[in-house]
Amino acid sequence: MKNLINNSVLFTSKINKTHVHFAYMLLALVLLVLGAGAPEDIGGVGR
Amino acid sequence: MVLLTAVLAGTLTGLGYARLKGSTWHPPVFRSAWLVLLGFLPQWIAFYLPYTRKLLPDQVAAASLVCSQLILLVFVIVNFRLPGMFLLAIGFACNLAVIGANGGFMPLTVDAASRLVDPSVFNRLTIGERISSASKDVLLPESRIVLSWLADRFIPPTFVPYRFAFSFGDVLIAAGAFWLLVGGNSTVSATDSGDF
Repeated sequence: MKNLINNSVLFTSKINKTHVHFAYMLLALVLLVLGAGAPEDIGGVGR
Repeated sequence: MVLLTAVLAGTLTGLGYARLKGSTWHPPVFRSAWLVLLGFLPQWIAFYLPYTRKLLPDQVAAASLVCSQLILLVFVIVNFRLPGMFLLAIGFACNLAVIGANGGFMPLTVDAASRLVDPSVFNRLTIGERISSASKDVLLPESRIVLSWLADRFIPPTFVPYRFAFSFGDVLIAAGAFWLLVGGNSTVSATDSGDF
């Protein structure tokens, strides 16, 4: 358990804030375009 | 799919172009990004979650789609200063106009649907009704569509393996998203920032 906590702290300290910002921006943009009315794929009729 | 492809293509192009110029690509900085999460939530419930999308009546799903798109349009307007956002805004407005004018769903022309799927699948569709509980589209003949030129009427060429229908608004949204990502945030030398 102690090792897990230490590894988690080590991992989060290595996360580049720019990468986090990029991921957040990308998520926002993907949700935006999906919400815009992503083109219809009607292969899944009846799902 | 075409919209997500535009996002991926724009990201890769932005990164590549910045590297070519010897500068750093910075992703766009959105204002009020929480609006996107808020705006997408009604659609997620009405069209993506398997349990809720089957329970909700069509009227509720239609209202969810319209409300959702209005919130997302507000987000686009709040971020109008970003490159490409004016194209996104026009695309959104086009889609919202045709959705609003046709009962709250995006009309899919019968012609496009017939070219999109096998006859065995096409014959199971009902004109005037939604394609499925997961769909934002309603199948309509062109004569019954208001603002038909803005409807889901375009199909990619047959050599494209993924089959989908898209609208004029979708084209503008894809172009706007691509421009937003390629758009001109690379101002810092890569050796200075250490980013990307």
